[in-house]
Amino acid sequence: MNEPIIELQNVGIAFNAQLRLGAPRFWALEDVNIALPRGARLGVVGRNGAGKSTLLRVLAGILAPDRGRIRRGRASCQLLSLALGFVPYLSGRDNAILSGLMLGLRRREIERRLPAILEFSELGDFFEQPVSSYSTGMYARLGFSVAMQVEPDVLLIDEVLAVGDTEFQQKSGAALRERIHSGTTVVFVSHMDAQVRNVCDCAVWIEHGRSVMQGPVDEVLAAYHAAAPVAEVAQ
Amino acid sequence: MRLHWLELILFSTYAELRAERARSYLGFLWWIIEPAMNMATYYLVFAVVLKTGQPDYVPFLLIGLTLWQWFKSGVSHGGLSIWQQLNLIRQVRLPLQVFPSVQILADTVKFAFILSLLLVILWAYGYKPNITYFGLIPVLLVELIFTAAVAYLVAAFIPFVPDLRFVIEQVLQVVMFISGVVFSLDSIPPDLRRWFELNPIVELIDAGRDILMYARWPDWIALGRVTAISLAFFALGTYLIRRYTPRYVKLPT
Repeated sequence: MNEPIIELQNVGIAFNAQLRLGAPRFWALEDVNIALPRGARLGVVGRNGAGKSTLLRVLAGILAPDRGRIRRGRASCQLLSLALGFVPYLSGRDNAILSGLMLGLRRREIERRLPAILEFSELGDFFEQPVSSYSTGMYARLGFSVAMQVEPDVLLIDEVLAVGDTEFQQKSGAALRERIHSGTTVVFVSHMDAQVRNVCDCAVWIEHGRSVMQGPVDEVLAAYHAAAPVAEVAQ
Repeated sequence: MRLHWLELILFSTYAELRAERARSYLGFLWWIIEPAMNMATYYLVFAVVLKTGQPDYVPFLLIGLTLWQWFKSGVSHGGLSIWQQLNLIRQVRLPLQVFPSVQILADTVKFAFILSLLLVILWAYGYKPNITYFGLIPVLLVELIFTAAVAYLVAAFIPFVPDLRFVIEQVLQVVMFISGVVFSLDSIPPDLRRWFELNPIVELIDAGRDILMYARWPDWIALGRVTAISLAFFALGTYLIRRYTPRYVKLPT
């Protein structure tokens, strides 16, 4: 196994529960140890509230650990964020540029990709219209098309694998699968075993803010379900 | 990387102005109508009703209000900006100075319209353009830095104490009255006046009036002092925003 691109050692993250003086802190992550090798596709499994989404934001560099440490190689990490920073009264084109800039692209890089965004989103003339006039499906298509333009070294995905109506779901799903399997390092949070098996080549199980186990997908899923209360499995 | 964030600031400013224009029937005409109505209100109250009768009161008032409103809108919009963008900040890593900067730049564009209107009114009143107009460049630049500095400082704290936003407008109102915007500070005894002049806004508005009404160059020493204060506050504001960034993302939704 090569040198990890990101390594978490005993990482803990505490939040304030309320906006109030002396409000108690709670630890969303208590003790997480993860080594993410370059090119790995890591699945994150765990119950609701286990800290999976928090973990993604730590990996993205948005949350700094309150204890433990993170070692990072030189790599850009980005959450797959749909419709990031969209402004309702702006046209699809302007929102694509704005969102792209927020995601770290240079202006000229986005301008160059606008034709691809327009084509993939299938918006046609609506591209020049304010996004407030879009249907939910159109909005999702634009958001996805823009998000796919960013090519981080480590792609972080929280549940979303496809968006839009049935037809676009297939198209967006295929595009994302292609990206995932193109050698990018991926961290994927999901509740669905089938998706994790499909996407990932290794997995980590998070329970109450602690990493319980990291290893091959089948072994981790088996251990996770063996420990799961029946009611939650049914869910 | 630096250039990239500059691109983001400039495009966001354009987006902000564009979106604002689209939100009303009269669009950007409001950038002129609203401050004009505001000026008319002060004019009616202080010049017509209260007869604050110093000579040249109208240009005195309009210059004060124009420079004041730029500062005030920059601080009140920029000051809230980080708090308003907390949801975005939770999703993506950005230097957070971007948000107040965008608001201040948008307000600066609107200020440019109002300043043009002010100049036209002054010329109509008989205050002709003169060589000291070049002195406006450093004066406006320093006001921009001071506005950004105060906006950064406010923006740094509002996310922790959002309640402060109810106080800000009131504080700004008080500051306006002690900044010599509508009343001349000349009536204040000199030893007391020294304290009022610690307020950078007083110096900036004085400099503006010197140039536009009396064709006098600004008091360079005073302007130098204000520049130093502005830069120090700006550095402090930037430092605080950067230092608190990891804590903003952890604030409860």
